[in-house]
Amino acid sequence: MGSALRPPAPRRGRRRFFLWISPGWGLLLLLLAGASALVAQERRYTIAFANLTEEPGVTLEGTGFTGREVRESFALAARRHPIDLVFYDNQRDPKKALANVEEAIGRKVHLYIQYCDDPVTNARVGERLRAAKIGVLAINTPVPDAPLYTLDNRAAGRIAGEALSEYGVKNWRSAPTIGVVLGNMASRDHRVSERVQGATEGLKRHLPALKISTLDTQGNAAQVATLVGKLLASHPATKVLIAAMDDASALAAKSALDSAGRLHDGAIVGQGVDRSVHGGINDRKEIDPANRGSIVLGSVAFYLDRYGYDVLPIAMRMLRGEAVAPRTVTAHRLITAANVFIEYPPYDMN
Amino acid sequence: MRRKALLVATLMLAGLIASAPAALAQTDCTKVVPPSPWGPNDQTGATNRVTPAVTKAAAAEIKDGKVVVMSYPLTDGIPLFGTRFSKTILTATTLAPGGALGENQLTYMEDTWLSQSHVGTHLDGMGHIGRKDCYFNQIAMGKFITQNNMTKLGLEHLKSFATRGVIVDMVKVYQAAGKFKTNAACKKPCIEKGTVITKADIEAGLKMYNVTLREGDILIVHTGWGNLFEQYPAQNAVYNSGEPGIGKEAAAWLVSQKIVAVGSDTWGVEVIPGEDPKEAFIVHNILLTDAGIHIIENVRTDLMAAEADQTKRATFFFSMTVPKAVGLTGNFVAIEGIR
Repeated sequence: MGSALRPPAPRRGRRRFFLWISPGWGLLLLLLAGASALVAQERRYTIAFANLTEEPGVTLEGTGFTGREVRESFALAARRHPIDLVFYDNQRDPKKALANVEEAIGRKVHLYIQYCDDPVTNARVGERLRAAKIGVLAINTPVPDAPLYTLDNRAAGRIAGEALSEYGVKNWRSAPTIGVVLGNMASRDHRVSERVQGATEGLKRHLPALKISTLDTQGNAAQVATLVGKLLASHPATKVLIAAMDDASALAAKSALDSAGRLHDGAIVGQGVDRSVHGGINDRKEIDPANRGSIVLGSVAFYLDRYGYDVLPIAMRMLRGEAVAPRTVTAHRLITAANVFIEYPPYDMN
Repeated sequence: MRRKALLVATLMLAGLIASAPAALAQTDCTKVVPPSPWGPNDQTGATNRVTPAVTKAAAAEIKDGKVVVMSYPLTDGIPLFGTRFSKTILTATTLAPGGALGENQLTYMEDTWLSQSHVGTHLDGMGHIGRKDCYFNQIAMGKFITQNNMTKLGLEHLKSFATRGVIVDMVKVYQAAGKFKTNAACKKPCIEKGTVITKADIEAGLKMYNVTLREGDILIVHTGWGNLFEQYPAQNAVYNSGEPGIGKEAAAWLVSQKIVAVGSDTWGVEVIPGEDPKEAFIVHNILLTDAGIHIIENVRTDLMAAEADQTKRATFFFSMTVPKAVGLTGNFVAIEGIR
């Protein structure tokens, strides 16, 4: 090798310096490598989830889902994240909700997910958590200054209404047709009224002159037979587009049409997509690929059984200090016989 | 008039020709499933790895000749997946008075076995699971199915399973890691359904007995969930309601280990409910469809797990014969682990 290509040898002092500093740098690099390896092992977080209510048989948000299904979705979704979950049940009780938050503060959880439909309680919960420097994420009812994950009832209603009006235009263009909004109108829950508003807008989307009747079940699905029966009797030779505000009402409406011998006069869309309308590959529920001819065209998914999968990624972003949208809404979509097994692949095929 | 009829006929023919590609449309399987590492004509999959050298090396696992049963009885009342069934009918006509044959009074009996193939302890073959119409080695199965069976990827193409078995005891791994959660219906320790068995868990199970996987091995995963099978029919609904099992990451790692099959004491080997609620049996796709690695379900693992615990040895000679059932997607099997 020619000397011109050889790098200049360090001077004597520089050599000594390198001899001294090299082990030092090596040690430092080793320490840094160890530290980065520790960082690479992702930190585990403790997240509290305070559920709305887990009272058996009590359904949430005007759908057929229970609090247990919501909690189970968190437990399943947590498998994807470095998370230890602590579950609380707010029991729809302000005192219990406040006791839960105190317990969680005592546990020093890293984040609190509050599912409570009382704004006053949520405000107090928010204050306590802020004072304890614990982040909070709200579900469906806001906690002041906290990110919110929420249903969009109006959008869900609109999806149902549009599907029905599209069906009416496509199949019954020349036949007299009426629209029906069916459900628990007396519910104190403002969400049902939003759903009704959306359904009404959707029904008129393709049938702007459609006359729409509202049938109030007052929360009793057994009333559907009487209400729908009377309506059918007063509208002979008329097609009926029924936007049911929940799946139980949708199924009851189908029964009522069947009892009246008017199945061919009806089309129904429900709300929720709980397990009463879909199931395993052999369950043969109402929304099933083998039941494509049903007058229940489908139901709008509310995904309460997947809340954990939607909410925990937001929680993780908060914990990592990343930006989070102030409001994230459920991506409602119409579930039909054509897509139910794609959206809800069966696995429990008992 | 004739000219008009000719025009109509021409138009109809043109319409038919135009619609033909749509009617015959198939998925381009080269975009959906990877090719087999054993070439474009391969219908065998991972049993290609069971070479004479692999079998010979596995034979070294037989040290004292002890045979450990690794399959469950196939009988009425066992948990079956979905609407599957298995029913036998005994033909015993010669046992009726006067029915015996000849001076030697020969009598005989036979069975009619009406059964679906994926029942009891059984093997999933290459034709069991696909993605759209695409199956192992990019085979567009739509062209290769008849009313009775498949004309490609049937069990008759499989080679031997005479190889080394390795058991990992996830119950012990989870207990040691302090993360063991059981199901109240299990009479022996079992891991709760929905538990994702990870690559790290399997590695911990291997390390527990100081063993590493080698090409051509069959991995058996003991979860304890099989105890619910043993309680048939009492706990059939619980057994089928979900299961602990390997997740996607572990499946991908097992593919990289070039094994032949994965078995477990569960009905699906993979974790149920799955990691992503919008995915259906994705581990089956990863192992079978994409890598030609078999899945063996409802394996009786408790006896071998106890044996491994007692002797601190997790390896054994894996003895399993799969009938050359032409065009079948799977079949029930009997497995013995020989030590």
